Amino acid sequence: MCDTCGCPSPSDHSHDHGHDHGHSHTKTVDVHASLFAANDALARANREHFDEVGAVALNLISSPGSGKTTLLEHTIEALKGEIRIGVIEGDIETERDAERIRKKGVPVIQLTTGGACHLDAAMTHKGFHRLQKEVGGNDIDLLFIENVGNLVCPSTFDLGEHERVVFVSVPEGPDKPSKYPKAFTSSQTFVVTKTDLLPYFDFPVPEAVGDALKLNPNLRTMDLSATSGEGMDQWLNYLRELVSAMKAKTGK
Amino acid sequence: MHEISLVQGLFQQLQELAIDNKASKIICVTMEIGPLSGVVVDSFQFGFDILSADDELLKGAKLKIKIPPVEYSCTGCGHVETVTTGQKPEECPKCGELLLIPKGGEDLILLQVEME
Repeated sequence: MCDTCGCPSPSDHSHDHGHDHGHSHTKTVDVHASLFAANDALARANREHFDEVGAVALNLISSPGSGKTTLLEHTIEALKGEIRIGVIEGDIETERDAERIRKKGVPVIQLTTGGACHLDAAMTHKGFHRLQKEVGGNDIDLLFIENVGNLVCPSTFDLGEHERVVFVSVPEGPDKPSKYPKAFTSSQTFVVTKTDLLPYFDFPVPEAVGDALKLNPNLRTMDLSATSGEGMDQWLNYLRELVSAMKAKTGK
Repeated sequence: MHEISLVQGLFQQLQELAIDNKASKIICVTMEIGPLSGVVVDSFQFGFDILSADDELLKGAKLKIKIPPVEYSCTGCGHVETVTTGQKPEECPKCGELLLIPKGGEDLILLQVEME
């Protein structure tokens, strides 16, 4: 080994000539580290935190305009006095969604990603701490994390949620599960929204649901319209079950 | 384009690796991109190219990408089809069943770094 520079070349080469003699000190390092590892570790910490405070966390994923915020408004109304809800809203810009939810009288904070197409575990962590400082933010049974409207990127990032719910609205068409499989393979529940519009669009619900089940046979599926109220019971009962399972687990 | 933020995360990791190994230049980075990781290879390459061009440590660095195999188990006959092309088989090649359960290929892994 060369004892001047520590390179593995034999030590008979001289270092006192004043030019670069061009031997390279190339080093190859085997790393084998997942790029998701940092996010996944934070996500696990988030999940532990949610468990500790006894809050069920749901990560809501869909295209923009699928009706997530409207469904949340109706859900908050329907479960008022029964389940304490908190909301983290994720958007690229604006406080609009948070303002809509705030009017319903539940703790909410808005995360603006400033361009990023998804939420990640670090943003969720900060968001939840901010939420806990809001009035009522320390007593939450059910936390909705409304992800940035996008069926692609959010599927890759675990936020520490207990369940992931993917939404497709009737005007979007039934081919979304086949076109965006990762959102469906990584979710536990698939909800078709805006079913009051079924008479006006070509959206065979069984086809969309069948395609999703082909990708992920364990998916729980339901269809509903938040505005007409049709199918809402199934959704609300699903939320009630999650909350009582958490209460049974934590004894809170 | 979440690939850009993933490349940013990678670069942070590479900066730390370079410091640990007293390197001032990264020559080649080898990544494994699972076909089911939700990462688009071309977008990742694009992110790597534009971000490395502005980075002293990574300027001119080469990105090598390996695609790991995915095993699809047939829910009908139990046949396991190993796919190395990243393409999901339409149906079980043995019995034609449509429901195939994938295993593997979900991760994005930094395998190896060559630096000086």
